[in-house]
Amino acid sequence: MMTFALAFAILILVLALGIWFAAVLDGVFSRQLSGHGTVGLLAPFHASAVYLTQQRLRTEAPDQLNWFLSIAGYLSVAATGLAVVPFGPDLAVIGLDTSVVFWGACESLIVVLVFLHGWSPNAPLSLIGAYRYVAIGLPIMLPSMFVLIAVAIPAQSLDLRDIVASQETVWNVIRQPLGLPLFLLLGLSLTLRGPFDYADSDDLAGGTSAEDSGANRAGWQVARLAMLVGFSAVASAAFLGGYLGPVLPGFVWVIIKTLVVMAIVIGLSHLLVRLPVARMLGLIWKILLPISFLDLLWAGLVALA
Amino acid sequence: MNWIAKLAAKAPVPIFIARGPDAPDETDRLHLNPALTIVDTPRAASILLVAGTLPHALKMYLHRLHDQLPHPRATVFWHSSPTEPFSNAVEIAHGDDLASVLLRTRAALLGGERASDADVLPDEPANEWQGVGPHGQGGKGMMGGTPYGRPMAMTDDDIRDGLKLDAYTAEFGPFLPMLPAGMILKLTLQGDIIQDVAVVSPPYEDARKGREIRALLRLLGLPTLANRMLVENAHRDAGFKRLVTLSGVRMAIPPDLGRTHDGSDVRSRFEHLLKDPFSPQKPHLTGLDLGDLLEGREWQEAMLILNSFDNVSLRKICANTRTNADEDSSEQTSGGHENMDHSAHGGH
Amino acid sequence: MTVVLAVFLIIGLSFLFTAGLRAGVAVDDKRHATYPQQRPFLGGSDPETHALQRFHIRYYTMTLLFVAFEMEMMFMYPWAVVFVEEGPKALAEMGMFLAILSVGILYGWKEGIFEWE
Repeated sequence: MMTFALAFAILILVLALGIWFAAVLDGVFSRQLSGHGTVGLLAPFHASAVYLTQQRLRTEAPDQLNWFLSIAGYLSVAATGLAVVPFGPDLAVIGLDTSVVFWGACESLIVVLVFLHGWSPNAPLSLIGAYRYVAIGLPIMLPSMFVLIAVAIPAQSLDLRDIVASQETVWNVIRQPLGLPLFLLLGLSLTLRGPFDYADSDDLAGGTSAEDSGANRAGWQVARLAMLVGFSAVASAAFLGGYLGPVLPGFVWVIIKTLVVMAIVIGLSHLLVRLPVARMLGLIWKILLPISFLDLLWAGLVALA
Repeated sequence: MNWIAKLAAKAPVPIFIARGPDAPDETDRLHLNPALTIVDTPRAASILLVAGTLPHALKMYLHRLHDQLPHPRATVFWHSSPTEPFSNAVEIAHGDDLASVLLRTRAALLGGERASDADVLPDEPANEWQGVGPHGQGGKGMMGGTPYGRPMAMTDDDIRDGLKLDAYTAEFGPFLPMLPAGMILKLTLQGDIIQDVAVVSPPYEDARKGREIRALLRLLGLPTLANRMLVENAHRDAGFKRLVTLSGVRMAIPPDLGRTHDGSDVRSRFEHLLKDPFSPQKPHLTGLDLGDLLEGREWQEAMLILNSFDNVSLRKICANTRTNADEDSSEQTSGGHENMDHSAHGGH
Repeated sequence: MTVVLAVFLIIGLSFLFTAGLRAGVAVDDKRHATYPQQRPFLGGSDPETHALQRFHIRYYTMTLLFVAFEMEMMFMYPWAVVFVEEGPKALAEMGMFLAILSVGILYGWKEGIFEWE
């Protein structure tokens, strides 16, 4: 019970710290790349306070229940992702021996929740964003699941705790070099960012969140950042050796590695172009998926060698 | 003021810009102002900024836009004077600093010293609810009637795979951030494919410097790099150009997208703009209409095509295109849609 | 048991947080959205119909191929665990399985299912 309470406390800490840090980091990147703007450490709090002073509007005949469920559900799934990550040997909030399968289930739920978020307001631009996201959100899960299965091979287990332990000698990012890049693309899709932002993009005036105001907007943006934290923590456990590291306590290493992955994802989201949706669909099936087969083959051969 | 309002007063002011044809050149450069956030939807805005004088024909559109902002809200007129229903609006006097007026107005809204703008339009549904069923539906089956004040979309032919599903017809614009300002199109969508297009109003005549390249970069998911274009002489910066190239734009724009008769397409127009953002390519447009360019295109592709032309070219293309009025008359001669229960719709 | 508890705890707290945002906002928010406020955003235009519709999704054939691969994932989970014990045999088996499924990709590609039909 004590370990559970400790793990849960770390979870809340990482989540809160991560959300704040992701927002600041986003500001830093956009300042560096666009050449103007300011970066304040308190800016994320000010920005969210603005939403909380605004009225929460509804649209004509919206699906109020699903609107709420999509936002709350997205946040839940993000936190659940973080919960399967071990903060130390045997220090995971959700210590499942099939945690990779569990995370896979979370991934697929996100497609449903983002769709619901665009469907609920009964508005044209949101609806297009919702349907379009499904076209990309579904197939991009395939390469990501292949690379996760590849990291399970050397660990001989579907438990993220064992997967971290199996990286004692060498991290998976080196052992399976194709894995992390492919997994990062999934992160962009899960967090609706940059090249995979088919749901909330500029060409739809905000897409699924175009009708969000007040508390809905605050909730959705927080959930998106939380998702980034959850995803980055899973990536750091699967590819960067999670809590493994010298001197510092394990959970500090988890935080450091999570922040590094977060910075990479945010950087990519500002720098990579978004393809028209049909082109992206072709790219995933014709190029990314075969590359993930290669990753699996590579992982298999290395494990047998 | 409670503590949330105090925190909110320290944030940049979220504004939505309704741009008139004579909006000042500095309008675009407001993106660079750290005291402001320019948002894409009125749902996220606290202040509606009317930049320049709007043509009379767009007044009704401004009224609808105004009422979509959440409370507390205010309207600010910049380089124009408040017109009839906006008696309570703030006018930026000559010599006043826009950002500081906006900050002051927002602070007054949050502190309660300034009353939030009331609606301009009457509080009533778009159409009378009518129909047989308890939810306003009517006619045979589930369709027809005007549930919650609007009819449902009806089935229509599809130009690609022939699967007859619901076609969504509506006017888009004139204040949509992904369309050139002032442009109103009547689009019929099947899913996210543009099935039919008619012009309600062409974009303004103004030649905003560098609008096209920034719009294209934003549509391609690179808003940060688009903002970089606002910095003086950014297009001469080799480092910036390398960033744009490395982002993969060449791969992203499909070949032959938005091709004109003389072989210019979105890709070539983009390359040209990247070299010289202030003098867009002038392709031959004789006989080319919006239907040729947009019909059968997916939403993002269609927006790329539209924004790859400068306003002068777009106005020429619009002049070749059938207008909304033509469409209405042709519909009457062909006896209207053959949809089920269409006669049951109210308020058309 | 702890797992179930943890999942419910996380979901519960997330829902509380989202509901708390709604409850915690300034008093002004309590006003009811009027009809003109409820009109969906179209840049100032007035939509003719409701947006919810029998939406024409252009990728429906792709989803069938997706289901085939997603099902295959079910077999891959246990396969990954026993892979090292089974050795090259497991690699060959999964290779054949993936090869068969890949024929599906090629066939779909030929039929144009990755286009916007």
